[in-house]
Amino acid sequence: MKNLGTVSRWAGALVLSAGLAALTAACGSTSSGSSATSSSSSSITVAVAYPAPPKALLAQFTKQTGIKVTWVNIGWDDLQTKIAAAAAANTYFADAADVDWSKVGEYQKTGWFYPLNTYFNVTSLKSDMPQLNTFISDNQLMGMPFDSSFLVTTVNTKDFAKAGITTMPTTLAGFTAALKKVGQVNGMASPLDIHFATAEGLSTCWYQMTAAFGGQVLTAQDTPAFTSPSSPGYQAMAWMVNAYKSGLVPKANINESDYQGFTTEMARNRVAAEMCDYSGSVASIYNVPSTSSVVNDTEYIPTPGATGVGHNVANPDGIGIPKTAKNVAGAVKFIEWFTNTENQATWAGLQGANNVVSTFPLPARLSSFTLMDKAGNIAQAGQLSTILQAHAQAPFPNGAPPWYVQFSASVQTNIHEAAAGQETVQQAVNAIAAQVSQLKSAG
Amino acid sequence: MSAARRGRVLPYLLLSPLVVFIGALSFVPTADTAVEAFFRVMPLDPPNRFIGLGNFRALFADPTITISWVNTAAYVVIGVTASVVLGTAIAVALKQRFRLRGVVLALVILPWALPAVVEAVIWSWIYNPTVGVMNSALHSTHVIGGYHVWLGLDRWLTILLIEIVQVWQITPLSALIILAALQAIPLDLYEAARVDGAGAVQAFRRISLPLIRPALAVCAVEALVLSLNIFDQVYILNGIAPLGSSVMLQTYVTTFENLNFGGGYALSLLVTLATAVLSLAALALIYRRPEAA
Repeated sequence: MKNLGTVSRWAGALVLSAGLAALTAACGSTSSGSSATSSSSSSITVAVAYPAPPKALLAQFTKQTGIKVTWVNIGWDDLQTKIAAAAAANTYFADAADVDWSKVGEYQKTGWFYPLNTYFNVTSLKSDMPQLNTFISDNQLMGMPFDSSFLVTTVNTKDFAKAGITTMPTTLAGFTAALKKVGQVNGMASPLDIHFATAEGLSTCWYQMTAAFGGQVLTAQDTPAFTSPSSPGYQAMAWMVNAYKSGLVPKANINESDYQGFTTEMARNRVAAEMCDYSGSVASIYNVPSTSSVVNDTEYIPTPGATGVGHNVANPDGIGIPKTAKNVAGAVKFIEWFTNTENQATWAGLQGANNVVSTFPLPARLSSFTLMDKAGNIAQAGQLSTILQAHAQAPFPNGAPPWYVQFSASVQTNIHEAAAGQETVQQAVNAIAAQVSQLKSAG
Repeated sequence: MSAARRGRVLPYLLLSPLVVFIGALSFVPTADTAVEAFFRVMPLDPPNRFIGLGNFRALFADPTITISWVNTAAYVVIGVTASVVLGTAIAVALKQRFRLRGVVLALVILPWALPAVVEAVIWSWIYNPTVGVMNSALHSTHVIGGYHVWLGLDRWLTILLIEIVQVWQITPLSALIILAALQAIPLDLYEAARVDGAGAVQAFRRISLPLIRPALAVCAVEALVLSLNIFDQVYILNGIAPLGSSVMLQTYVTTFENLNFGGGYALSLLVTLATAVLSLAALALIYRRPEAA
């Protein structure tokens, strides 16, 4: 019975520990909640899927405005869930939050975010922000773009040069053949990085590959444009699935997030090319010596397409004000500051590496580009500028539909299943098309 | 009020805060879920409206949900069987006296004390196809010829590996409960059996097993409830891919990814009913009072 007593004490101690842990967690929640509740005009919480600007610069904002900023950096997918859950429960979670290009129609319809037309002059902003229209739905500005971003093809020029390839192919057939050669020469079993995990990165990659094949996945009426085997959307999906099944893409990608792909596969030189990379990765990831072994070896190239250089899907990030915000005036001041010409250029490197926002792609304002061009400190400015002006296109002809979130969930799960061999490309296409029909009929 | 009457009322008074607490945080939301399950609740398509069994019909017609039910059944079978068998084996081993028994007991309990999310993250590195310990260990011992992608390609392997993580977490509690039951068995019974010529296996089958049945029932129900509601491990190790998806994961996807709150309520209600029915069935099947065993 002595042993039983020991076990009972153990069990008792564990139960007590668990109880205390639960109590601590509960107290933590309460504390957090009260902190949110007590948010006054002198503080705001900013929730975005981005690292914070340097502390010294945030301190400058506080000094100028008297507003203290609490920066919450959450992963993109998790942040979208948090926004939806908080809005549905009508609870506070932040004063300024991420407004993704894909959510604009949804937020306009649900009314989860304040239209920003009241606080900003949309007409004058349009001339300086080429991607502002992406954030307008039904004439309402739902978010302010805080970067210019589009999907690009990045290659490791050193690996390609070893294989004797110095002129980059402009067609997908040529690029595929080149990759096979690069893989053989450099001892890479799978030289191409495309993400196949069930996450937003897989959906956007399909839109990008569809753009490379010369099309878009939905029509202007938001009907499927990918059901015919000759359509760019169908061909793009078939090409992606075949690239995975044939071993051109690492098998591990079926479960790896896009961020893991950038920071480990490409930056560690385990692959030689990335087809759905973010504009900005070269400066913010691959050329950072502490985390990369391919410093100065990577380069953006014009996206290889079906018959020549293809398009690039634009996916800028935006910031808006949730209806449950407690300090709207503070949030407006912060958005003004965060997106002004000088700061946009600063986040991209105008004032040196110490003042950049990590992973920041390109400024949202043309005036910021001008500042950086004058200072001569933007990597591959010519290439990026050409892509931005000539090849960057919105993923959807009519903006992201209000039911984008369900559409994207269907896209990513079905392409993932096709790559994993659980269904054919035709079945995946049919399933996504059926989902679109259902979503459209549901209104 | 008389002393006798006060004595009768006092227990209810003492329990009333707990009843209010549980009622507010458990029964009210459950009742609300049960009602809303019959409504179309979609923030993108307000207002909410009564649709009868519409949500349930949609769920049964959705092949992804059907797959997740089958997957969940596999999680339950593996989880309940493995945690009860392993828990019993660990308890029998820990019943013996040996040096550093206390340390071993503490180590055994550790996985139970860790949050499921932390454990899933740890195991995601173990299963990592590029830098994972599993590939490294199996490759260096020549069990496998090359590195494998363990999760996301083969449905049943994915389910098995995910459930191993949960079994790793829930088995310690089962072991503790069974150990306590084993130690409550009077030693006289084993002594008498030994005198009658029974070996260790026979003593376990004829004495230990019947007398720890109530504890086994508790462990089985605990494992059943946890594996039927498995979410964290599936989400972290396999994302929202249907291949290894559980019903609870689909509840999350339906509610927060697809913003179909009515469908989410309906699926939650079905999971709650399934949990209650299966738990009662498991209790009826396994539980025996010691004198009846």
